[in-house]
Amino acid sequence: MKRGSRRQADYGRDVALIGGLRGWTALAVLLVATVVLPQLLSVTDNMKWVTFLNFTLLTIIAVLGLQIITGMAGQISLGHSAFLMTGGYIMAILATKLGFPFWIAAFLAVLATASVGVLVALPAIRLKGFYVAVVTLAFFTISQHIFQNLSIAGGIWGLSNVPGPSVGPLKIITDTSWYYFLLLLTAICIIASASLARSRIGRSFLAVRDNEVTASGLGINVPGAKLRAFFIGSLFAGIAGVFWTSYVTAVRIDQFSLWDSIWYLGMIIIGGLGSTAGAVLGVLFLQLVRQVLHEITASGVVPLSINFSAALTFAVYGLAIILFIAFRPHGLMAVWQKLKTSYKRWPFGE
Amino acid sequence: MSTSNIILHSERLELSFGGIKALDSMSVEVEKGQILSLIGPNGAGKTCFINCVTGYYRPREGQIVFDGTDILGMRPHRIARLGISRTFQNPNTYPTMTALDILLAARYMHCRAGMMECLAPFGRSRREELQSRRSIEEVITFTHIEELRKKPISMMSYGQRKQVEIARALVMQPRLVLLDEPMSGLDDVMKEMVCELILDMHRQGMTIVLVEHDIQTVMELSHKVAVLDHGQKVAEGTPAEISRDARVASAYLGRNEADGQQAACP
Amino acid sequence: MDPVITLIQLIISGALVGGIYGLIAMGFVVAYRNARVFNIAYGQLAVVGAFVAWTFVGSPAAPRLPVPFAVVATLAVAVLLGLVVEWLLFRRMIDRSQFATFVASLGLLGVLQGLVMSVWGTKTLAMAPVFPKGPLHLGGIVLAREYLWAFLVAVLLAFVITLFFRRTRLGLAMRAAYDNQAAARTLGVSVRLSSQVAWSISAVIAAAGGILIATVGGVSMALSELVLVVLAVVLIAGMDSVAGCIAGGLVLAVGQNLVSYYAGAYFTGIESVFSMVLILIVLLVRPSGMFGTKPIERV
Repeated sequence: MKRGSRRQADYGRDVALIGGLRGWTALAVLLVATVVLPQLLSVTDNMKWVTFLNFTLLTIIAVLGLQIITGMAGQISLGHSAFLMTGGYIMAILATKLGFPFWIAAFLAVLATASVGVLVALPAIRLKGFYVAVVTLAFFTISQHIFQNLSIAGGIWGLSNVPGPSVGPLKIITDTSWYYFLLLLTAICIIASASLARSRIGRSFLAVRDNEVTASGLGINVPGAKLRAFFIGSLFAGIAGVFWTSYVTAVRIDQFSLWDSIWYLGMIIIGGLGSTAGAVLGVLFLQLVRQVLHEITASGVVPLSINFSAALTFAVYGLAIILFIAFRPHGLMAVWQKLKTSYKRWPFGE
Repeated sequence: MSTSNIILHSERLELSFGGIKALDSMSVEVEKGQILSLIGPNGAGKTCFINCVTGYYRPREGQIVFDGTDILGMRPHRIARLGISRTFQNPNTYPTMTALDILLAARYMHCRAGMMECLAPFGRSRREELQSRRSIEEVITFTHIEELRKKPISMMSYGQRKQVEIARALVMQPRLVLLDEPMSGLDDVMKEMVCELILDMHRQGMTIVLVEHDIQTVMELSHKVAVLDHGQKVAEGTPAEISRDARVASAYLGRNEADGQQAACP
Repeated sequence: MDPVITLIQLIISGALVGGIYGLIAMGFVVAYRNARVFNIAYGQLAVVGAFVAWTFVGSPAAPRLPVPFAVVATLAVAVLLGLVVEWLLFRRMIDRSQFATFVASLGLLGVLQGLVMSVWGTKTLAMAPVFPKGPLHLGGIVLAREYLWAFLVAVLLAFVITLFFRRTRLGLAMRAAYDNQAAARTLGVSVRLSSQVAWSISAVIAAAGGILIATVGGVSMALSELVLVVLAVVLIAGMDSVAGCIAGGLVLAVGQNLVSYYAGAYFTGIESVFSMVLILIVLLVRPSGMFGTKPIERV
């Protein structure tokens, strides 16, 4: 009762994305760190690490989208990289073949991807569980073959010379300028995703994930919620796909593979299902693992063939997913929470 | 009984599963502000009736009118938006959400923020969120679940889940609440609490349909009792009339118990 | 060539492959029904089986073991693999949600992929003939002998597996456990045993299917795409129908054969698109599949 009345004073704190002095401090530190990071990295070495960071940021945007579809709304999607592919291809076609200006092409491509997401969801909304996974898998296969056969999409060679964005007079060309651009974009996406989680639409996703029957009893249109989840999720994927294509200035079929879809799922499992921060953590974790493995094989300390190095990545990723789902099913987020509680309660243990 | 006072009216509902009649010519009327109880043995069709009213089952024939609107064949979420909410018999239904999560989710139909607005950390979505939180706190106090706010529902006791389930129904600010065995499996203290809660709801002007096995509680709480058996309504009346009804008494109440039972409260 | 003869030949050769597809799909269904795992790594089990068989049988230029020994050895390895996977991974997840076991199978997919790539590489390997090769003339129709053999073996195996689930004590007990795991447990059906048996059978079928397909098309990572075929077959057949798998396999393979012959020139990979479109149609029209039973949903 007493606790209750004190709480009533200000619910804003519960709603806020960042809470308290500690939250703001952490954010400030993070912000400074992310801004300074490429400067530090460029001192040591070539741009390899900045490139790595850029792909990581793009992956974060993509995985945030999957987190909405699978983590929040509970619809298992094996076709997420096909959304990136769709966004990327439409962007490339609009910008290179049809001569659209960059931002208009990007906007249309993202919107088209989100619409495709709704289209994919249409057969999926009547179905449950693995059937949705199979529908999305089917979507992946179909879209891959369509783009491969489409002459305007350049066949198996794909399209190249995809332009980069420019913000006002600023042209984004160098890796470092891409980094700052993508950092901003990722931050916006993270804020959007976190806001969604504490909004009526986001909660309707959670309700549908937990129990479709009772969710409809809350006045939630369950098929509608699934469509929305696919719309927003593929919107994020579309953004990632568009800028991915624009960053590497080309698009090809094998740029977005089924394995990527699988690793995206792995990332949200490892990070923590349903949480925005979890999606970010999951991406960072697997990206770092990949890079470390790459460094080990590239450095030649351990004599391994290129082939074996690729195989190692598969095995380690798979193993990481298995270990997390078996022993830490709530992912890194839960580990983090646990650490935080035990830190607060020290020295009293759990 | 004037017609305008009837909030829910179901007529000659027919529902069957593969040849087994679950509801057989079921007609029930609920007056505004009343507490109507449905009793009867297991499989009598009580929960089936609730499922029909809330749109989960679609009766083969019949009519269900809620406040002048024909709701037969409407999908559950449409019916919920009209102001009918229900609780489920087994509230073991949210594997990941906390009480606060589910209560906020239950505010869904009272908020208007669109999909794109929900992606912004400011504006209508946030205003509504604060508004929702305020009205939820009222329900939390009303249903005495202050301690359960941030507890995952999967980690609650059976009784606590039932409390949250009722709170969830109330957050939707319904005009008609259908309570499906809200007291089954509870101890006496909790039962007493739920009884009080139902009476509070009644005082606030809600219409309540109660499905319950505990005859004594039913007799104490309700204005009207309908007895179901094999999908048919076999008797209907005030608690006093029902307890006098010889058929009902022998079948469900046991002769001795039925003697002298009066509607003690409210 | 006479178009009618071509059509008949396409249908028959498609049906022969369809029998093998059906068999392979049965292994997936066994794991799904009896070990309750939607095993997305199932195609990889077939890949491993095919590569192990290649190791034992040898390439056409350098055959190693006699074929019967090699096949028996491969199947033994498959049983071992199934048991190891069950023991290391899925036994620990027996009480977990189907989503969790599905995710675990995604992990398994990665691990097996890595294993195959590091041991055998990514090239397509030709295998020494397992079945007698050569054309077989029936009227005007020409069939490949090895297809016919592979088909016969597949149907025989499918029959044996159906018998196991219909006639043996253990098989019946496992079917009972599928209907109600808790009830079966109280009746003394060991969940662990049935999970072990299910995984062994599933892995053996996968390996056998992998070998059969490999005798026709060579051994490569591309076999992992079998999982797409398997999903198409089980969805056409209905997720809970073991016998329906053969019929589903026939429908799919004949359809693929026809589509790729008549439209393959205009659209590469049309047969994969065909199977996926077929999945979507079946899911939209009859989500429980052609032979599956639809459970009554209770609120």
